[in-house]
Amino acid sequence: MQEYRKIIIQKEQIVPIAEKMRREGRYLVMIHAFIDKDGQMDVSWDYAVDPAVESYHVLGETELPSIGGIYDTAATWPERELNELFGINFEGLDTSKRLFLPEDMLETQGRGQIMVTPLSELVEKNRKEEA
Amino acid sequence: MSYIVPVGPYHPALEEPIHARLYTEGEVIKDAEVFVGYNHRGIEKLATERNAIQTLVLVERVCGICSHSHAFTYAMAVEAINGVEVPKRGEYIRVITAELERLHSHFLWLGIACHIIGHDSMFMHIWDERELVMDLLEKMTGNRVNYAMVTIGGARRDISDELRRELLAACDKLKAPMDRIVEIALTDRTIALRTKGVGVLKREDALRMGAVGPHARASGVKIDVRKDAPYSSYGDFDFDVPVVDSGDVFARVVVRALECYESIKIIRQALENLPEGPINLGSKLIKIKEGQSVARHEAPRGQLSHMVVGDGGFHNHRVSIHVPSYKNTPTVPFMLRGNTVADGGLIIASIDPCFSCLDR
Repeated sequence: MQEYRKIIIQKEQIVPIAEKMRREGRYLVMIHAFIDKDGQMDVSWDYAVDPAVESYHVLGETELPSIGGIYDTAATWPERELNELFGINFEGLDTSKRLFLPEDMLETQGRGQIMVTPLSELVEKNRKEEA
Repeated sequence: MSYIVPVGPYHPALEEPIHARLYTEGEVIKDAEVFVGYNHRGIEKLATERNAIQTLVLVERVCGICSHSHAFTYAMAVEAINGVEVPKRGEYIRVITAELERLHSHFLWLGIACHIIGHDSMFMHIWDERELVMDLLEKMTGNRVNYAMVTIGGARRDISDELRRELLAACDKLKAPMDRIVEIALTDRTIALRTKGVGVLKREDALRMGAVGPHARASGVKIDVRKDAPYSSYGDFDFDVPVVDSGDVFARVVVRALECYESIKIIRQALENLPEGPINLGSKLIKIKEGQSVARHEAPRGQLSHMVVGDGGFHNHRVSIHVPSYKNTPTVPFMLRGNTVADGGLIIASIDPCFSCLDR
C-alpha cells in the first residue's frame, strides 16, 4: 500500500531537502499548493521515497526559493504553474513565458487569481468582461 | 541559413495541440522550445465544487486515452484519506481495466508512430489488432472511451464467468498478432532507419528532468509505480518491467511493444485468480474526511499522481492532477537538438504525449 507522510518544514529547509533527495536519487513527484481552510497558503514538495510519498509542507509563504537548479524542469514546470495559478513567487524562476493560462487571461483575471478566487466570482468576472 | 520553424499547435502528425519552435541551421535543429496550455479547461478548479462521485466523472474526462487511470488514481487518493479498504474483486477488476487501457494506448501509439514514418500498412495492422482490445473494453464496461468502471470503494461493473472466459480467450488470440507486430518492429528496415539513433534522451538527462514511464524506461531508467510502490492488487501479479538503454525512438517502440506482453500477463493472472465476493462497498455518497493524500498510478504513459485534500464535507477542498506528459514534455527540446526537421514530428510524438492530460 502506498503511504503518504506529511512533514511540516520552514522555507529555509526546502533547498537542503531537495539537494538531499537528489543525492539519494529520489524522484520529485510534484509540487502542489492550496489555500487551507484558515486562508493560508500550503505548498508541498512531494518526493518518491518508495513505496511512500514524503510530502514536505511550507505554510503561509508565497515567496519561496526555486529548486530548478536541482531538479531542472521537473521543478520549474510545477513552479511556473503555481506562479500562474496561485501567484506564488519562486526566487530566480523565469516567468517571462506563459505555461497554461493564455496571455490575455494572465493580464485580466490574472496571475494567481484562478485557484484562489471562488468559481462563482470568476464566472461573474468573466460575464462582466464579455458584456 | 538559419530559420525558425513553427510546428503546431495544429499539425497533421500530432492530433493534440502543442506548439514547438524549432531553431534550425539548414536541415538541422539547433535548439527548440515547446509551448503547452492550449487545452487548459480548469478541471482542478471545477473539482473543488464537486463531490467524490461527480469528480470521478469529471476526472475521467481529463483524457480520452487514459480515462480509467484518472478515475482509478482519484479514487485511491480519496480511499486513502477515508481509510477505505476496497474489496479484492473490485481491485482486480480495476487492474484488468487499467491493463486493457495500457494495451489499447500502446497499440494506438505504435500505430501512430508507424503512420508518422510512412509505414501505413503497419499502422493499419496495429490498429486492426487494437480494435479487439477496444471491443473487449466496450463489452466489459459498456464504453469505448470513458469506461466509468471505478467508484469510491471498488468497481462499478462485475465480470461474469462468460465474459471472463471471453477475456481469457482474447489474451490467447492477441498472442499471434502481437508476435508479428513485435517481430516487424524489431527487424523492419524502414522502422530501423527512421527510429534508430533518432531523438536520443540519455539516462542522466532522463533522471535529471524526471522523465517517467516507457519514455524513461527507454533511456535505461527502471521506474514503474506498479513495482516501486505497489498499490491496488499489483503486488499479487508476476510481471516484468522492460528497460532498454539506447534512449532513442527505436527504444521507445521496443519498450512499449514488450510492455503489451506484460499487460496480457497481468490480465491473464487477474482473470484466472479473480476472487469471489463483492466488487464495491455500495453506492452511498461519502463525505471526504479532513485530510490530504497523494495517490500514484502507472498510467500507460507513466506515473500519474492525484493529490486530494478533503475538509470533511462532500466536496473536494483541492484536487491536483499531474500526468506523465507533464514530466516528459520538457525533455522534447533536448531530444530535438542535433536532429533534422524531418524527424521533428516523430520525436515530439515519441514521448506519446497527451496534451489534453497535461493541460487539464
